[in-house]
Amino acid sequence: MRGKFWQTMGFSERGKQYLQPEEALYLMECGNVQVFYRDLPLSIQDGYERFLSSDTVTLHQYQVFGHLKRLGYVVNRFDPSSVSSTYERQLNLPASDKQKKQLKRKRSQSPVSSDKHGISTEEKTTSEAHNELAETSKLPADLQEPVHLADAPERTWWMEEDVQQKHPKTQTAAPRWDFSSISFPDLGSRRRSERLASPHRSLLPENVDVGECDVSRWLGRLNMKQEKLSRRDMERQRERDRYRRDVNSDREVRRCRNWAEYSELMEERRRRRRKHRPEHLWEREETPLTQPGQCTSHRELLDQIGIIKSSTFSEGLSRLSPSDQWKISFDVYQPDTVAEFKKSHPGKPYTRMCVCSFAGPVPDLHAVKQLSFQSQDVPVTFAVVDHGDISFYCFKDFKLPTDVY
Amino acid sequence: MDGDPAVMKVPRSSSVEVKEDMDTKSEKQATRDALIDISFCGSTPMLWKVSDMKKCRSEGVIGALVGSLARQPRQNVRLGRPLELRPEEALLLLEKEKSTAAVRLDTQDCEDEEAHSEAVRLYEAGLESSYQEQCVLALEDKKKTLNRVMNEKENGTEGSGSAVRERLEALDQSFSFPWSAMAVQLCTARSGFSHCPEERSFHSTDCPMPRDEHLNTRFSVYRDLRNKGYYLTSAGKFGGDFLVYPGDPLRFHAHYIALCVSLDEEMPVCDILAIARLGSNVKKTVLLCSPQEGDVVYSSLQWSSMV
Repeated sequence: MRGKFWQTMGFSERGKQYLQPEEALYLMECGNVQVFYRDLPLSIQDGYERFLSSDTVTLHQYQVFGHLKRLGYVVNRFDPSSVSSTYERQLNLPASDKQKKQLKRKRSQSPVSSDKHGISTEEKTTSEAHNELAETSKLPADLQEPVHLADAPERTWWMEEDVQQKHPKTQTAAPRWDFSSISFPDLGSRRRSERLASPHRSLLPENVDVGECDVSRWLGRLNMKQEKLSRRDMERQRERDRYRRDVNSDREVRRCRNWAEYSELMEERRRRRRKHRPEHLWEREETPLTQPGQCTSHRELLDQIGIIKSSTFSEGLSRLSPSDQWKISFDVYQPDTVAEFKKSHPGKPYTRMCVCSFAGPVPDLHAVKQLSFQSQDVPVTFAVVDHGDISFYCFKDFKLPTDVY
Repeated sequence: MDGDPAVMKVPRSSSVEVKEDMDTKSEKQATRDALIDISFCGSTPMLWKVSDMKKCRSEGVIGALVGSLARQPRQNVRLGRPLELRPEEALLLLEKEKSTAAVRLDTQDCEDEEAHSEAVRLYEAGLESSYQEQCVLALEDKKKTLNRVMNEKENGTEGSGSAVRERLEALDQSFSFPWSAMAVQLCTARSGFSHCPEERSFHSTDCPMPRDEHLNTRFSVYRDLRNKGYYLTSAGKFGGDFLVYPGDPLRFHAHYIALCVSLDEEMPVCDILAIARLGSNVKKTVLLCSPQEGDVVYSSLQWSSMV
């Protein structure tokens, strides 16, 4: 083996080539690499006991890693900061070179030699693996933190006050304007005046005096030409309008002077319609969700009676906190991309692996949502380890069909 | 590239030295040799030596192979050493006193400088002798190939055979076997030539495997079924705790899926239905096992409407 594995494994830092502990152990098991510690070669048993721990890669994670590598996949450690957000993807930014963190330092002594027998590289470790483990994990900054969290450290024990404090901040200010009394001139109507009266003093800022406004110049800019339609177009429009009642030709609507009166009119009409409804249904606290004649399509009807709304993975994500128990371990790339695989620009992985076991809990919706959010557009697969047997599961986002034709 | 240390060839002189050191420990070794060495990777018990694995199998403990197979590392159908043991299996071996369990201490790493440099020297001596042997073998191999070529050529055309003969004669002088081309053996189990970290054997109370209620339940069931002569392996994919075989798993299909529940644990009917359905689909009887005052009570579920 000529060192083909450098194409997909390992990384360079400060001029030297390093391997991750799981990669080194896998290569040892394949018989491609010998690892020396203090001038003596490590056996595979030593490798398992030294390289695998809860700080680096656990035994379960290594078993999944090995399983996938043996099948030919390219497996790299997952780096949360390497996931581009939806916004970044929209902007289509070129992927920046993110620095990978090394967890095991080895001094590479000899360059790759071209022999057919066994060793291709000999590497020396300078000190124990576990002494050098400095795993730092970067979580993507949660930009949508709610406001009150900023005050949390000061007020943790005053829970009630905290709740009370929340309200004034999140409450929107009551509008200062009474829109029902302000009338807006209709500049688009045919019968318009060239001059507008000055607005009421209270609507203007202090010390601002506005006289009558001459809007003739502006009116000239408005396109008031009547639309000239061809005969076919007019016919088409007549067909469309046959069943449509123009709101403006409604006498009652014309009598309304502003929006408030219009909404009152609509409410009145609705009330009139409701008078036909049976009392025993509509006069109680719980009323039916819909009434006959209200909907024109199945979809509208299903929308109205659908109390349980279906949710997707991407809803409510801003409120999720990262979980300690469920973490994505690896990025997996397909085997047929090995020839073009570049470590600096690996591209989008085929899937991301989260390793768990049958002894642990089944991932709940929170975990599934949080992981799929962390992984953005790459699907997440759960690799369940059961004493050597590995099964792969994934959750698919599915929407129940609501249109009935 | 695996192998027991016994397979590695050592020059006779150094092996005698090693034996003298071991003389005083020989008696202890004799009894210890009959025991299986369980070493831990984190909290998972594992067996590394082939002899240990054979002894373990003869006890009826199956375990699962989880490492790459040395001859064919790039496939998942057949895996090789180490043999991963379930915590119940390790506990059984410890209880029957058929094994010792040892944990590698993280802190020390053979502080003894002299012993370490001795080990390095032995290793390098072994490497050197292996190199010499391989030189000889490689030369013989090359000669054979050239002879074969020469014979073939003589049978064919004349004249070209002479060039080959000349090469053959020159071979003895000019043949060189580079050090980097040497085949090296990578040990699977920890061999005597590597530095030996301090190993501490411990009582079962100390063990790194976390013992909780569920493990105790499972262990009682495992022990009971094993004493009855059944062989058990893990059954995560079947939704149970164990798969129960009437004989060696290599010879039989599993007859039962064992699910360990404690007597006071409440089980929702949906779960019972689910496991019964599963069992009938795979044509295995589901056993609900509960330890009760030293004995184990079994209830079997069979779906009678499925034919």
